[in-house]
Amino acid sequence: MGDLFDGYTTGGFFDEMFEEPGQPRPHYRRLFERLSELSRDDYDQRIGAADISFLYQGITFTVYSAHEGIERIFPFDLVPRIIPHAEWQMLDRGLRQRVTALNMFLQDVYHEQRILHEGIIPAELVLGAQGFCDLMVGVDPPSGVYIHIVGSDLVRDERGRYLVLEDNGRSPSGVSYVLENRAAMKRAFPRLFERSGVLPVEHYPQALLETLRAVAPRGVDSPTVALLTPGVFNSAYFEHSFLARQMGVELVEGRDLVAYENRIYMRTTHGLQPVDVIYRRIDDAFLDPLAFRSESMLGCAGLFNAYRAGRVTLANAVGTGVADDKAIYPFVPAMIRFYLSEEPILDNVPTYRADDPSARAYILENLDKLVVKAVNESGGYGMLVGPHATVAERASFAEKIRAQPRNFIAQPTLALSRHPTFADGRFEGRHIDFRPYILSGRGITIVPGGLTRVALRRGSLVVNSSQGGGSKDTWVLDE
Amino acid sequence: MLSRVAESLFWMSRYLERAEDVARIIAVNFQASLDAPGVSQELAWEPLIAITGDRVMFAGAYERYDAASVMAFLTRHPDNPNAILSCVGRARENARAVREQISREMWEQINRLYHIISGADMAAITLNPYEFFDEIRNGSHLFQGVTDATMAHGEGWEFIQAGKFLERADKTARILDVKYSALATNGGGEGKPLASLQWIALLKSCSAFEPYRRSHSQLQAWRVVDFLLLDRTFPRSVAFCLEQTRNSLSRISGSPPERPSNAAERLLGRLCAELTYLDIREALADLHVYLDDMERKINGVGEAIVQSYFVATLVPPGSPPRDRFYEAQQQQQ
Repeated sequence: MGDLFDGYTTGGFFDEMFEEPGQPRPHYRRLFERLSELSRDDYDQRIGAADISFLYQGITFTVYSAHEGIERIFPFDLVPRIIPHAEWQMLDRGLRQRVTALNMFLQDVYHEQRILHEGIIPAELVLGAQGFCDLMVGVDPPSGVYIHIVGSDLVRDERGRYLVLEDNGRSPSGVSYVLENRAAMKRAFPRLFERSGVLPVEHYPQALLETLRAVAPRGVDSPTVALLTPGVFNSAYFEHSFLARQMGVELVEGRDLVAYENRIYMRTTHGLQPVDVIYRRIDDAFLDPLAFRSESMLGCAGLFNAYRAGRVTLANAVGTGVADDKAIYPFVPAMIRFYLSEEPILDNVPTYRADDPSARAYILENLDKLVVKAVNESGGYGMLVGPHATVAERASFAEKIRAQPRNFIAQPTLALSRHPTFADGRFEGRHIDFRPYILSGRGITIVPGGLTRVALRRGSLVVNSSQGGGSKDTWVLDE
Repeated sequence: MLSRVAESLFWMSRYLERAEDVARIIAVNFQASLDAPGVSQELAWEPLIAITGDRVMFAGAYERYDAASVMAFLTRHPDNPNAILSCVGRARENARAVREQISREMWEQINRLYHIISGADMAAITLNPYEFFDEIRNGSHLFQGVTDATMAHGEGWEFIQAGKFLERADKTARILDVKYSALATNGGGEGKPLASLQWIALLKSCSAFEPYRRSHSQLQAWRVVDFLLLDRTFPRSVAFCLEQTRNSLSRISGSPPERPSNAAERLLGRLCAELTYLDIREALADLHVYLDDMERKINGVGEAIVQSYFVATLVPPGSPPRDRFYEAQQQQQ
């Protein structure tokens, strides 16, 4: 045939596109036919068109080195990931259920703590969690919403079952790539979108703005929203400025804000202007030097008091870290049963808490088969991939686990699903995951789609952009 | 608009204009020094250091005033905050801080200019300064053109204009001040050939030679001063620049120029009125004193802009306007 799929193998993994080699799943058939027609040259041309569009729109990493100011393109793979409608409906229901329970959990642990009294989750695990914020006890965020924006990481196992790997309830990033990938895709393959039934994602910024406006402090009819960024040197700054522009709100830094009599104001050329809702992209610890880390230059002194007084809304709320603590994650299915009296629609990945003596023994015996994670780290840091680690690395992790068991969990090394991805001049299978974004305001909104991350290196399971990861457009079909 | 953003745009523009002005002055001075081989190096190059007002720092770094030292000091001496490289560097840092508020083309152009200057070889520049300083001037003009053509002409753009014109007014006044007193102490009468070359160099330092020629047939000291101070159409005259700054501030605050709404507008309005009704003979009676006072007032406007628009104030809404609050504060000794 001489096409780009020549020699493609599924390698024994669950392949998103193929039931078996040469046998595309029904929802991929059209895409497969279209891609099979392409020559290497056609494909290169389209990559060029997409890359240029990224550069023009400024979606780049700025690399600070000897050649300062050079901007690099975020790796983007042109083969889209497709999710059929029925599958999406299941995900949508599962995510709503999960986020609802997480929100009820936060409301509960900062108020009555029923779930602790009834012994569903060990109290010391929650109250001793790094993400648990004492100052939030008894505080009522507007509309009772804590996690306004969640990015849950989903993976599929060797049978194609969706599993939740973690819930990012602090300030998940990456949504700008969802929108930019779609724009690049439309530019590279305009005709693919005709009658393909791909649901749009472009309304995400509008949905986000509506979510933020819906949780304004009581009595504010026409709230002013601002996005709080750590500043230009933050690696996600592009996303912060992108979202601010798309929503038409001010992009502020801590030094732009001032607290006066429990209200927060922006310093503008026309004087101080009140801010009602702050979509903050900085961590709890840096929000307010008076309440948290006193050396923080990123926050605004007095912000937390204004927040506690209900005069300004922070999204996400302070103290949500307790809900995405990896040692508390294993209890999410129990939360769903406890608060909603429902069975979880989406399963967790089996997880061993080193805190629990019998699980700890199992972890230490099976370090070569497990993935070990530090409970409060993210972005691929503080992680041991047992099968790929050296003996010395495993020994050093074993020591850390014995010293601080509360800080570690372990999960089986998953055979993540794979997706055809352009590499070395043809399509090859690469491991992927999926991060949809769930917005909670007056109700729950999930834009149909999300960020599909792909480990571009052959055999790699790590999809983080800092470690050789890229991304794909994600299509949810309307039927 | 956020004060921080406005401040960055204002300073980005001011620093770039400063760099362009320094480049222009060096290039013109180099050319003029070729026409006057009899003049000592010191006499030819010292006034440049006077224009930027950095005599003490220069004396600490170099032994004498000659072409190579002065060019090196004004182009990229690391301790000189008014050197072209540090001006463009600071313009670029300000641009980076508001990267999302300016157009991609503007960012690229300022970045390119910075790399040209930071990568330049000083020895080669001293041998042939034309090309290098031309490139800087053109780079700055290109940035201004790109800014006009690619950025929305809203509040941010007005701050860019205000920064550019305020800086330019100051530089024109300084060039006139330094060069005029140098000419006067030289005893160069108006008719002498060397003196007229110096007048031409003065006009060229402000890109004013041809525009001047079009409106005046004679090269006369008072006409030159009148042109550089008061011409209503020449884009580098002090009056023109201050008028433009005033228009920008008026569009920013939304109140007409004759109804000033803050300290910056009031000070600027007074200064413009003073120039409008100036009899040039009054200024010429002692031009140095007059220009010195002018430079101080321009500085005052700059400080008032900072206070009126950029400085954080803790006045809650509903209190008296904040510049009145400031004045009240200042009156408490």
